[in-house]
Amino acid sequence: MPHTAPDLRNSDPSDAWLDSLLAQDAALHSDAYVDDAGFTASVMSALPPAALAPRWRKPAVTALWASAGLGIAFALPSAVLDVSREAFRLLAAQPFTLSGLAAALVALGVITWTGTAWALRGD
Amino acid sequence: MASPESVTDAQLIARCLVADDRHAFTELVRRHQSAVRACLRKLTAGNHALADDLAQETFVLAWRNLRSFRQEARFSTWLYRIATNCWLAQGRKRREELLGDRDADVAAVESSDDAGDPAHADHARSASLRIDMERALATLSEAERAAIVQCYHNDLTHEEAAYVLDCPVGTVKTHVFRARQKLKAALAAWNPAS
Repeated sequence: MPHTAPDLRNSDPSDAWLDSLLAQDAALHSDAYVDDAGFTASVMSALPPAALAPRWRKPAVTALWASAGLGIAFALPSAVLDVSREAFRLLAAQPFTLSGLAAALVALGVITWTGTAWALRGD
Repeated sequence: MASPESVTDAQLIARCLVADDRHAFTELVRRHQSAVRACLRKLTAGNHALADDLAQETFVLAWRNLRSFRQEARFSTWLYRIATNCWLAQGRKRREELLGDRDADVAAVESSDDAGDPAHADHARSASLRIDMERALATLSEAERAAIVQCYHNDLTHEEAAYVLDCPVGTVKTHVFRARQKLKAALAAWNPAS
């Protein structure tokens, strides 16, 4: 954004004294550095504490779920195959129509966009 | 390793977001604390204790909402926006103390009568101007005071002030115009023609 001073071109020339006073006060304001004097430390101590969960927790939970899934797949191979086969058979038996597909696509779009808008919502 | 001064605000913000780096945020606070506290001191008409409380609240809110900062304005302008909102919210909660911690200024004005040299006279004039300006600013509405502080004291453009105050540019200009009319009346004693 290009920086320009406040537009005072339309101000009354007889207000020059006021512009001058405001400029002097603004100069005093900008020249006066406010010493930190422990302010930064007090802000940092007022911040909410960092998340307590250790860094290794997320990958550990993911690994546990993955190993549990693999364990089930190896322990009951026929069951996994049967479930997959039945699921495919049920899906293939569905009478798909053009209007049904269109309705499903619209519903999917609405859900996606609503989810996106919710995720990107302003503060 | 680069010195803290050579790292941009954007890089520090990225470190905060990616690595939850509190040292980076410490540097951001150190860089901007003076401007934010000075801005709030103007808005609170010189109440330093209240201004510092609001400044702390500003930085805590900035930390919590850092992810929502989209770089559409400078980081300092974004901080001014949060600070102004904190001040407006506080003003709604309780009546503001209009006269603040200006003991040093008042002492300077009072002691200036004893001092005959020009340096003392200049200092006393500056202190006197600050006091009268704070009193004059206290006569403005919150919106008018905020517009004057952002446009003159923080040296923002009308567009940037509109972003800080979350209102159209035309509204900022109207607030500035009305504020100037009131300041003319309140500071009439400073008009050489009067």
